[in-house]
Formats: sequence, C-alpha cells, structure tokens
Amino acid sequence: MTAQVDLLHVVTTDNITPRRIALGRTLVWGSAGILFLLIAIQALFEYGYLSFGFENWRPVLYGYAFWAFCFCASQVIIRGEQGKRALFVLPAVLFVASMVIFPLLFGLSIAFSDWNLASPDGRSFNGLDNVRQMWADPYYWNALKNMVYYTMAILVEYAIAFGLALLLNSQIRAQKFFRVAFLMPLMLSPVAVSWMVGKSMLEVRFGPIARLARWIGWDSPSFFGTPEMARTMVMVMDAWTFIPFMMIMILAGLQAIPKEVQEAAKVDGASAIQAFWQVVFPLMLPISITAVLIRIIFKLKLADIIITVTSGGPGGATDSVTSFIFREYRDRSNVGYGTLLAMVYLVVIIIAITIFMKLVDRWMNPRY
Amino acid sequence: MKVELYNRMRRGQMSRRGMLKGAASIGAVAAAGGLGLGLNTGPANAATDLRAALLKIPGVGTGSPSDADYQKVGEMTLGPTKAVVEEGEFEGVELTFLGLNNQNQHNFLFRGFLKPWEKYTGAKIKWIDLAQADYNARLQQSIATQTVDFDIIEMGAPFEGDVTGRGLASEMPEWVKDVIDMDDYVDYLKAPVGTWNGKTYRVSIDGDCHNFNYRTDYFENEDFAAAWAAEGHDGPWEVPATWQKVQEVTKFLTGKKDPLSGLDAHGYLDPLKGWGGFGFYFLASRATAYAKHPDDPAWLFDPEDMKPRVNNEAWVRAIQDVLDVMADQPTDQINADPGTTAFQQFLAGTGSMVSWWGDVGAGAKTSDSSVVGEVTGFSILPGSDDVWNHKEGKWETLDSGPNHAPNMAYIGWGVYVMARVDADPKRHKAAWSAAAHLGGKDLSLWASAYPSGFQPYRKSHFNVSEWTEAGYDEAFIDDYLSSEADSYNHPNAAIEPRIPGIFQYYSVAEDELAKIYAGQYASAQEGADAIAAAWEKITDQIGRESQTALYRASLNL
Repeated sequence: MTAQVDLLHVVTTDNITPRRIALGRTLVWGSAGILFLLIAIQALFEYGYLSFGFENWRPVLYGYAFWAFCFCASQVIIRGEQGKRALFVLPAVLFVASMVIFPLLFGLSIAFSDWNLASPDGRSFNGLDNVRQMWADPYYWNALKNMVYYTMAILVEYAIAFGLALLLNSQIRAQKFFRVAFLMPLMLSPVAVSWMVGKSMLEVRFGPIARLARWIGWDSPSFFGTPEMARTMVMVMDAWTFIPFMMIMILAGLQAIPKEVQEAAKVDGASAIQAFWQVVFPLMLPISITAVLIRIIFKLKLADIIITVTSGGPGGATDSVTSFIFREYRDRSNVGYGTLLAMVYLVVIIIAITIFMKLVDRWMNPRY
Repeated sequence: MKVELYNRMRRGQMSRRGMLKGAASIGAVAAAGGLGLGLNTGPANAATDLRAALLKIPGVGTGSPSDADYQKVGEMTLGPTKAVVEEGEFEGVELTFLGLNNQNQHNFLFRGFLKPWEKYTGAKIKWIDLAQADYNARLQQSIATQTVDFDIIEMGAPFEGDVTGRGLASEMPEWVKDVIDMDDYVDYLKAPVGTWNGKTYRVSIDGDCHNFNYRTDYFENEDFAAAWAAEGHDGPWEVPATWQKVQEVTKFLTGKKDPLSGLDAHGYLDPLKGWGGFGFYFLASRATAYAKHPDDPAWLFDPEDMKPRVNNEAWVRAIQDVLDVMADQPTDQINADPGTTAFQQFLAGTGSMVSWWGDVGAGAKTSDSSVVGEVTGFSILPGSDDVWNHKEGKWETLDSGPNHAPNMAYIGWGVYVMARVDADPKRHKAAWSAAAHLGGKDLSLWASAYPSGFQPYRKSHFNVSEWTEAGYDEAFIDDYLSSEADSYNHPNAAIEPRIPGIFQYYSVAEDELAKIYAGQYASAQEGADAIAAAWEKITDQIGRESQTALYRASLNL
C-alpha cells in the first residue's frame, strides 16, 4: 500500500486556488475579528471603560455562532473534499465546546468568587478564600465522610443484587413476575420513595413498619432518632430503589455465561459453591465492575431522599455532599462557595473513580 | 381562608335554609345588575349589601369556588377601579405578574379576579407561575443577574429587604392608598411593614403569625389536676400562659396517658428538624417572650452594627428550654419538622401544645386526619415571667406582668409593583391599579372567607357577624379569629427583620440547631455562639454596612 492510495475514496480532485485559500482565511479571521471585537466592546462596556455597548451578551453569542459557521465553511473553501470530511465532526466539536468548555470555565470563575445573591455588591473575585472556607468547613467534611459510608454500602447492595439475580436466573416459579416485581422500585422516583417509605411507612406512631416493630416487641421504634440508625435507614431506602438496577445488569451477565462452561464444571465434580466461586463469579467480574461503577456514580449524587426525609439530620449524620451543596446554594444563595464545593467534589470523584478503575484493571489484568 | 377550614364549614354548615338564603341573595344581586349595590339603599347599606352578596359567592355549602366565581368576585369589586380608571384607559398595556401556584391558589385566583379588570381597562396580564420551593431562588437570581422580567410580584414581607431595599420596587402612589383603605389593616401590617425609608411599597393581601394551640381535654382533666396539686405545683392546673409554665407542664405530663388516645401523654411539641429555614420561626416563637423587650424594637440583631443577639441570654434560654424537654418529647422527635409537629402529631392526637400558623386551628376540625377537633383551643403565644433587657444586659420583671411578644412569623403575602414600570406613566398606573384591585377591601373579605391561601388581615375581617351571616359557626370562627386578632394587634409583637438574605440566616441557624439538638455542642451557649458566628459571616458577605442600614430602615429607626 502506498501513501497515494485514497483510503476514504475521494472522488474528485480539488483544484484549490490561492485566491480561494485567501478567501477562506479571510472568512475565518474576519469573523474571529468580529467576535473578539464584540467581546472587547461588551467587556469594556460592562466594566465601565466604554460609554456604549449592548444591553446583554447576546450579540457575543451571535458573533460566536457566526464565527463557527465561517470556520466550518472555510474548511471546505480551503481544504475542499478533506474539509467536507471535517464537517462531519466539526459542528459537534464546536457545540460540545460551547456547551461544556465555556460553562466549565464560567463555573470555575464563579467558584473562585464571593457571590452571595443577596449581596448588593454582586460577584467579586476572592482568590482561594472559598477553598480556605471549605478546608475549615466541618459540614463539608462531615458530608464527605458520610459519602464514604454510603459508598461502602454498595458492597452489601452488590451482594444482595447478585443473590437476587442468581435466584431469578434459576428455575423458579413465576420467574417473569418476580423479574418485573423486583424491578418496580427502580421505576419509582426517589422522592416518591422518600414520602411513601421514609415519611409514611416509617412514621413512628402510625406507620405500618413502626406498628410491626411494636408488635414484635420494640416498644418505642425510632428509625431516624440516632445518627447510626438514620444513616442506615437512608442507605436501606436508597438500596431498595437501586438494587434492582444492579440486579438486572448482573442477571443479563449471568444469562450470557455459556452453559457449557458450567456444565463442564459440573462434570468435573465441582460443588455448587465451587462452581460459583471458581466459574460464575470470575466470569461475572467485568459486568460486576461495570454495575458497581455505575452504582457508585448514582450513589455520589444521592440527595433527594436525604433532603426529603432527614434534611441531613440528626446533626448532619445523614448529610450527603449534594444535599449540603443544595442547602448552601439554594437556601442560602451562596453561589460562589456552592459552586466551588461542587467543583471540588467533581475533582474528588474523577480522581477516586480513576484510581478505582486502575486498581480494578490491575486486579483483572495482572502484569507479571 | 384556608381550604380545610372552608371545606369543614362547607360540610358541616350546609343547610337547606342557608342554601336558599344564598340562592336568594345571588338572585337579588343578579336582579340588581350584577353589582349588588342595593338600588334602594344608601351608600353605607350598599357597601354592606355588596359584602354580604360577595360572601354568597358561591355560598357556603355549594362547593368550592370556580374560576367563574373568581371572575364574578373580580367583577363585583371593580367599583374602586372604575372610580379612578376610565374604561379602556390601559389599552395596549401588557404587564407580567409573577406569583405562586400553591394548591391551585394564589395566581389561579388572581387570574380570575383580574379578568374583569383586564376587560374594563384594556390591559393584558402575562402570568409567571412558580412553586413555593422555586420562589426564593427565582427571585434572588432575577435580582442578582438584573433580569427582573416581571412588573407585578406576589411577595412575602421578609423579601422586602431584597427588593425594596435595592430600589427595585415602585413607590405606591397616594391614590392607591385611598383605594385599598390602608387604615383598615391590622396594626402590625401598617408601617414599617410594607415601607422602606419611609416610602410605601406593599399592597397587603394576607397576614401571618404564630398562635398557641392547646388541647382543652388535657387542661380540663380532673386526674391531671389532682396529680398537679399532689405534686405541689404552684397555681391551678390550667392552660400555661408563660413558657416557664409550658416547661413545667411538659415535664409533668411525662409518664401520664393521653386522655383521648390512651397512649403516652406529651406536653409542648418542638420541631427539632429544619424546614428550609422556616423551622427557625419555631425557636423564635419560644424566644420572643424572653428576647423582645417592650422598650426595644430589635430582638434578633443589634440595630447599630448587626451583631447577632441569637447568642444572648434570652435566646440561649430558649434553646436550653428545648434541650430540657427533649426527653419528654415523643419518640423520634429529632426527626420531626414543623409539618410533623402540626399535622402528624398535634392534629393526630400526639402532644398537648404546639405553636403554628393559623393552619393548625383551621385544620383541627377539618383535616381528615385530625382527631382533636372538639378539644382544641387557641391563644396568643405564651409569655415569660421575665424579659431580657439587651441594652442593660439583665433580666427584668415587668410591672405589667408576664412579657408577651407574639411572633409575626413571615408577615404574610403582599402585591408589589416593580420600578421598571415607573418610566411609563400609563404602565405605572395600570400596574398599580391591578395591585390595588387585588388588595381591595371587599375583595379581601371574600379571599379570607373562601379557600385562597390567605388569612384575615384587616380589622374589617374580624367582624364575626359578617361570617355568621354567611353561614359560619359563630363559636368556632370567634375563637379562631380572636387568637389571630390578639396576636396581630399586640403592642409588643415581634416582627422579623425585612433584610436581604434573611432566609440565609434562618437556614444556617437550622443547621447549627440540628447539631445542638443532636448533642454535638457542649452547651446551648456554645451552639448559639456558632449560630452567631455563622450569621456574622453572612452579614460580612452580604455587606455589614448595607445590612445595618437596611435593618434600621426595616425597624423604622
């Protein structure tokens, strides 16, 4: 194969003249110039260095759209057929850049600002003050600590989900019914779960679970009275909602295991326990890791049940990072600090997930 | 009028006679040309006839009011508008109204009330409906990002600091004051509420305060009375009138049985869990009698420099009171928010005393889950044998007896016009005319008597005969209204500061209180100091100088 072979089957040979190239470049740089001019005018106007400007930043957005259009067009003008290929991804790249990169940069600028919506002075850059505040904020660290507990609970959830999946994978009666029935909690909104279970069934005086508890001899049932109990109950409600999700993923994995492998183990004389630990579990590891990973991501967003049922109490025992940020951001309009907390949480999540995946990779693909 | 109260009345008071009376009145109104002005009567009688006719729409016992009823009420109360606005005067004007959609009330009613107004004046209203939970965030974001996209807003007085304090609201013209008859407001809703730096901004459409709700069967119980005497308590067994007595009664009741349910008896119910900032009002209801001195308008902050008073001896005593009776509260009280104490506990027969807004009184006989309808009584919040004099730094016993300071929690809803209409005289008059129509004296009577989300707030609303004539039970209405009127009109009522970000202070205090109640601080004082420190941070962040100035303005200092 030679370098001249066109792997992408270009059907025409472009004859791109220098004049056409110059036109393309003029389009790009001209539109970029207009965009930067609009940004400069609006920025100077906003900061009071110019007496004229626009009512808002919308013209800058139009300038960006115009530049993006010119940039795409210039690819074809300058590069011909090759440029057309770029058009397959370029609009998407520009869209992602405007929807992810710009907001991220804007979010970072807010995170390092003192911005309380009630303040008449508006937003002001405050360097690392928010980081220092976070460092000394016992509520944030307490919420992070709680997140560790909540995340650890996934191991138990995983074990239960695996057990249920094995059950549904075996030849039991009404298998289809149970599959649907077990999935139902996942279909419920966590807010509905909070009200139905947390605020109604677990209500200490009239709730059916409290009545049952009294009937079996627990005189004064209290499901959210102590930090440990409250945290456990939040874990249980969250687990009840999301175990079906892990279960269905594991069930799909179990059904994909070749029957021959299991039969071979049986022929070799493996007991049921040996067959599980030596054959099924190792084969299920990739799907298990995926299920646990997705569950961790769900868990790190845990907030609705806590906000609805305990408001983070008693004394912050059930607070999650998200529920704390919710209070800081929404109830207290503390936009700058709330954004920083969310950014730091994002970084912590990325680092933790990366480490987790690396460890899993090492474990599953040992390099000898 | 709360929905529950209305429904109860509707169910309980319906009679053929009442219905015929209502039908006859409506017929008479229709015969008189729709306005019910009483063609053969003088002006005073005409007003009375109009109010009587209004209260017949749709009539007690004829089902919940519909949009057609709202429009009929809006039509019948257009008189004051017609006196100052020419027909079609606002042709071409479009106004945007931001309000709530709670329980299909608020904006739903306003739409109907304003439809005849739109037809008459030629103006059009565009509506922005918000859920209560989204309200604060939407308002704050509009203000902070300078994107106020509404001309008229339904707003609680605690937000006046955020809006009027920044010059975002339009000052009320004199003619509006005459149209809405502001002199008729209960005293606490008069200036400084609704005003800022001496200027008036608010058309009140609601009133709010915390009442004291108690179980009469507890305090009429002979066994309790005998046990009370046997234990050697001072004074007779009666409804406690001071917080000291509330504490004593709460401890006394521990170990006894509820006369109604036979389950464990309990005294005062404290909500120990936060409620999006609103939970702080309940500690405040315990604290006002200690902290609000009759000679001092301030009770939460020092007016000189915004130093919090929440860690002074009065507030610490209130917090300590809560801690002292935590063991006497029902199981799991640490997870009880104000909604729980009112609706899942008190109305369901747990506990004998609770502070709340008018909803508990209204729901006592009307809520399906209430079992205390026949055994509930109302009064203003308890007082205190002594009161903290913050300036002198000492406790004082007043010659006049226990110090009472009813907590005017939230101060009720109002209608405000935004300053962005000021540039155009036609829009300005149109917006104020719409606001005045919604806050009109006669329209407000209807709103307090039928499900609207608004409580009585005018002196004229407390004319019991108007209610009984409309078909309401006199004893019930009298008791219910008296407890509210006595709170509203109290000379030492504690009115919250209308400063920017007030709910930020409440929210952070709830977090600290949760820690105090969970035993994470060594003492109430230490916890209160933590609240004060958090409040200082908020004040510094928002701006101490501006907060102090706005706080002083809100106190009319």
